[in-house]
Amino acid sequence: MSRIILHIDMNSYFASVEQQANPFLRGKPLGITGKHQERSVIAAASIEAKKLGVKTAMSTWEAKRICPSLILYPGDPEKYSYITSQFNSIFSEYTNYVEQFSIDECFLDLSKTVADYLEAIVLAQTIRERIKKTCGEKITCSIGIAPNKLIAKLCSEQVKPNGITTVCKQNVLKFLDTCKLRDLCGIGNRIENRLGSLGINTFDQLRKFPLEKLVNEFNSYGYWLHESAHGLNDSPVINTREEPKSIGHSYTLSENTEDKNEMKNCLLGLSDRVAWRLRNEGFVARCVHVIIRYSDFTTMAQQQTFTEPTSNGLMLFKIAWQIIEKWLDVSKPVRLLGLSASTLSKGNEYQSLFKKERKVRSLQKSLDKIQNRYGSDAWTRASLIGVHFKKRSSGFHSPNSPSTM
Amino acid sequence: MHEFLNDQIDVIASFCQNRVIPKRIRWNERDYDISNVNLVHTAREGQKRIFYFSVSDNTNYFKLKLDPEYLEWHLVELYN
Repeated sequence: MSRIILHIDMNSYFASVEQQANPFLRGKPLGITGKHQERSVIAAASIEAKKLGVKTAMSTWEAKRICPSLILYPGDPEKYSYITSQFNSIFSEYTNYVEQFSIDECFLDLSKTVADYLEAIVLAQTIRERIKKTCGEKITCSIGIAPNKLIAKLCSEQVKPNGITTVCKQNVLKFLDTCKLRDLCGIGNRIENRLGSLGINTFDQLRKFPLEKLVNEFNSYGYWLHESAHGLNDSPVINTREEPKSIGHSYTLSENTEDKNEMKNCLLGLSDRVAWRLRNEGFVARCVHVIIRYSDFTTMAQQQTFTEPTSNGLMLFKIAWQIIEKWLDVSKPVRLLGLSASTLSKGNEYQSLFKKERKVRSLQKSLDKIQNRYGSDAWTRASLIGVHFKKRSSGFHSPNSPSTM
Repeated sequence: MHEFLNDQIDVIASFCQNRVIPKRIRWNERDYDISNVNLVHTAREGQKRIFYFSVSDNTNYFKLKLDPEYLEWHLVELYN
């Protein structure tokens, strides 16, 4: 039996949530930004802003140049996570197969819930109404209904805002032929250009292109392209949360800096946050990855692997700082610092032979308990007193953490 | 104008069908009648669950924070 998959995509999500919360933002071009608006990008644009040419990921100064009446508004990640949990719990009432694809996108497998596409459309309308009732009338979604995830996602892009698009199995090829190659999730600029250089500009041409030549050009990705062009995709809707491959934070400084102490403070704060999340999720890491973005937007990224797995903030900081000392270009001011821990495994740090280290670890456990009870601001290192990360920065909110900054 | 604040305020609220509905706030020695509760969300501070109410009158948007442990209300955002 053919599967019936729903893809639900919230429209201009962050902007819609803010317009729901604040009625004085409704009907106006709105851009949701990071904490430092003038140094930020547009994380989401309202429908009104999109109509005036503002696009997601545009720098705020460019967005303002295109649309001088644009209202820049700092994002509130806690609010968005809460609304996401609200609509996810609505979805879970209809099927056990719900896959959260991102904060504002979900796949639902309705194959065992509904008998046919008509019933799926009725259910999609019900879900849309329930979201409106629970979360607010400004929070709308577009829904795609199709035999697989790939086509369902493509469908939900067709009518925005607030549309429902259905493509059943027999119409998949006809539907694909009305779309551009790069509309498909998985074909970006580079793949599109490479396909173009092979004379492939449409799904029809991709279908007719010999599979062997595709595989020669794209290796295993060639098979995926060939199947996609035929509207085939058998990836299941996975309702379990995948373990993270890395845990990290980055932070854009309020001003570019050449001051190493300022960089150290920021990096130590980031390390503590990363280590806290590692411990909280029961991970230890064996690799640290550091990112430095300079004032000219060039980026340096380096990583170091080590033998003894850790979830200690100070240890992560020391390794990260070694990397920075080695690779930092002192001729350029730094704009952003980032740190992530990877090569994760479940478990605790090795028991140390040294009494001092054992004491530090025991203290860490007590500090974690305090933080669990009173929140992440409950303690800080003496060296970080006076260092404050701006609260409404997206990098500092994790819906799975017991507390947020 | 969009301001971030953390001012303790007095609130008159109704408790109805397991919901808290702010009706009037007193801030800076002035009363504001709430005409709409637009969005309610929660967030965690440690083990504590904090409630946020995005409300408005005819000219202002207020974001109110309720700490249920101490029954304290704060005005944390203002937009007018």
